[in-house]
Amino acid sequence: MSRLLGLVVAASLLASPLHSQDSLMARLRRQSDSLLGSWREAEKLADVADSLEQVRATAGSDTIAVGGLRIVVNPSPLPWRQAAELAWPVIDSLYGSAAEDLPQHPYIFRAVDPDSGVRRAVLHVGVEVPWDLDLRATTTVLLTTVTAPHFDPALANWLGAALRPTLRPQDERAVVFVLLVTAPAEAVRRCFLGDIARCKDVLQVGDSTGLLARWYVTPAEREALVTEAFTDYFARGATAPSLQRCRQHHDDACTTLLQSLPPGTLPRPLPQAAGILLVREALRAGGRDAYRRLVARPSAPIGERLASAAGMDIDSLVVRWRNDVRAARPKPLALPWWASFAAIGWTAFFGFCALRSSRWRL
Amino acid sequence: MASLRRWILVGLVGCFALALAYLPPRGATPSERSFFMPQSRRGTPARQRAQALADEWRGADASLRLLRARRELQGLLREARAGTSLVVVSESADVAIPTPPIVDSAIHVAWRQLGLGETKVRVAVIIQLAVATAVHDRPAIEEGIAAYLAPDSTDRTTCIAVLPAGNYWTRVFRGARVSGRLPFDAAVLTLKTGLGPCAFYAAYGTPGKSVRGWLVSRGWDLALTVDAGARGRQGNSPIGMAEARHYSYWEPIYSLPPTAVACIASRPEGCRAAVLAGASDDPAIPFPDIVRIEQRWWRRIPRLVEGQRFLADVADEVGRHRFLRFWTSALPVDTALAAALKRPVGEWTADWERGFVQPIRLGPAAPLGGVVIALTIAVFAIVVVAGTASRRQIR
Repeated sequence: MSRLLGLVVAASLLASPLHSQDSLMARLRRQSDSLLGSWREAEKLADVADSLEQVRATAGSDTIAVGGLRIVVNPSPLPWRQAAELAWPVIDSLYGSAAEDLPQHPYIFRAVDPDSGVRRAVLHVGVEVPWDLDLRATTTVLLTTVTAPHFDPALANWLGAALRPTLRPQDERAVVFVLLVTAPAEAVRRCFLGDIARCKDVLQVGDSTGLLARWYVTPAEREALVTEAFTDYFARGATAPSLQRCRQHHDDACTTLLQSLPPGTLPRPLPQAAGILLVREALRAGGRDAYRRLVARPSAPIGERLASAAGMDIDSLVVRWRNDVRAARPKPLALPWWASFAAIGWTAFFGFCALRSSRWRL
Repeated sequence: MASLRRWILVGLVGCFALALAYLPPRGATPSERSFFMPQSRRGTPARQRAQALADEWRGADASLRLLRARRELQGLLREARAGTSLVVVSESADVAIPTPPIVDSAIHVAWRQLGLGETKVRVAVIIQLAVATAVHDRPAIEEGIAAYLAPDSTDRTTCIAVLPAGNYWTRVFRGARVSGRLPFDAAVLTLKTGLGPCAFYAAYGTPGKSVRGWLVSRGWDLALTVDAGARGRQGNSPIGMAEARHYSYWEPIYSLPPTAVACIASRPEGCRAAVLAGASDDPAIPFPDIVRIEQRWWRRIPRLVEGQRFLADVADEVGRHRFLRFWTSALPVDTALAAALKRPVGEWTADWERGFVQPIRLGPAAPLGGVVIALTIAVFAIVVVAGTASRRQIR
């Protein structure tokens, strides 16, 4: 009897850690469930509080309406109306008929005194701006904070940036010209020289299979990519021997390594600015409904979307884009007539000084 | 009457001198353009409460996940590869998924960069990836609070870490294009930091009771990273990044505890108190020993500026052998640390802190220009009084 009792006691003692573990888990689970319930209630309450705060924050503000822009602002010396009058044509020319939807996304600004040391009221709604901005800076604020209508994740992923209007399109083209000329990839060079198929590859608007061979054409480029951008990534485990072989100029090893990269991680040979310019070109060519057509089918391939927006086939659009970029070649630096004489004069002066020197002194 | 007039004149001249010294000339342009710092939008109090509850839930959920992982430990460890003591598994919405190659590669690079290979204490890392579509019935996964289970609470040889990856890192790990180049180095750095206390367990084993109790009571804030890295004044803190003449420098200083401020001012006693806070002769260690660490540095109020790398720098300075003696010591923390450093803790820490933050002056102090002007006025007054006194005639 006593042996049986001993066994029962021993079993209960051995089981107690497991039991306490179970009870701890049960306690944590209860706590987690309770917190989840409280969070759901708090979220509902916060939604109501946020909408009330939106009403409170904009009470007593002025609403400025210019075209499709709605700007809710507190009284301040900022030239909102003039800025909106400058910004609206630029915004309208980019988004076309889709800009009519912009009143759904009003700007809410709070202008504040930038020089005051007085603690500002906590900001719950809108954006804070200093009230000493000039007209150009105020216009830039409007252009850079406009909500692109119906901008879908696929387009955002391809562009890598938001599509917003710019006050200086010519500068953007000049930047892309420099990128085309200076990018180290052979595919980009061929695009610059007029190979439209290559342009479609580097812009990623055509066939998306076998991108590695299309983007990085020569073995030297592939080797440079592996050894410069992905050394750490490949320098361990099963890929380490291949990395060694790649460093010894074995192209098959470099290609195999690059092909093993997860989809989407291969760096583009041409930066995002080129893609943004292509979209602008498509929207310019396609007329007022171009933007609507661009965002109408988010699941379609990007090339098709651009062609549909531009109202022309993708090859013609890319040709237009390339011509546009080439036309934006930056002006070569012109030296004044006296600059060469000045250069020769200074050279002669320093040469004379050097000849007059008796010896080198340490 | 003439004497009174003279004094009024002297007073006016004095006022004029003061005005000339202190008032800026009218219409003068400031020496530098004022820098406007817009406020970032803050949630309403109701939203903040909801977010606080969400954070609390995430902490409880991570603790639950750790306890579940403890039960599934054998299954977890089967994932281990030869030659390394690191196990990495991934999950999304509580469902196990294959570990994305970028995560696997980055965390192994991190492990190697930390100088860890096959260690006595293994580390099992559970990466929680965010779900692709928004879920509204529970808080979304955020890279906020990481949770760790100490080896003593598992099988004594495995430390478990649960690292939530928010939307950004989930996209990176799944191969989405988030920028022109793959931010692989940043992923390595993030995961290196994410290993947190588990990296210390792997590198130095389980600490002695006093050191462990000290770290547990402070939430391991002095040992968040085992990688000391380069030192300099460009740390991950607003104080390290800002300059003393800007408002953004002083605001975080005012939010620090007094001992941390004293340490920035190079006061050894302040540094000592900041480092040894939480050390006790009879430390209490909870079971299970779950550590939750806020990974968003901008949300932490440090007890010591740049304290997250304090023990890593100590180890770097004193060498592995002496650090291990401190780490496993049964002596009180201050004695063990001073013995390892071969210096008083406060003095060493004050020197160490100067490597990150320019020391500040505490207490009232008149500016040099003010002192010069005050002395000039005083000398002027004395000269006038002396002159007047020497001319006085007694009739």
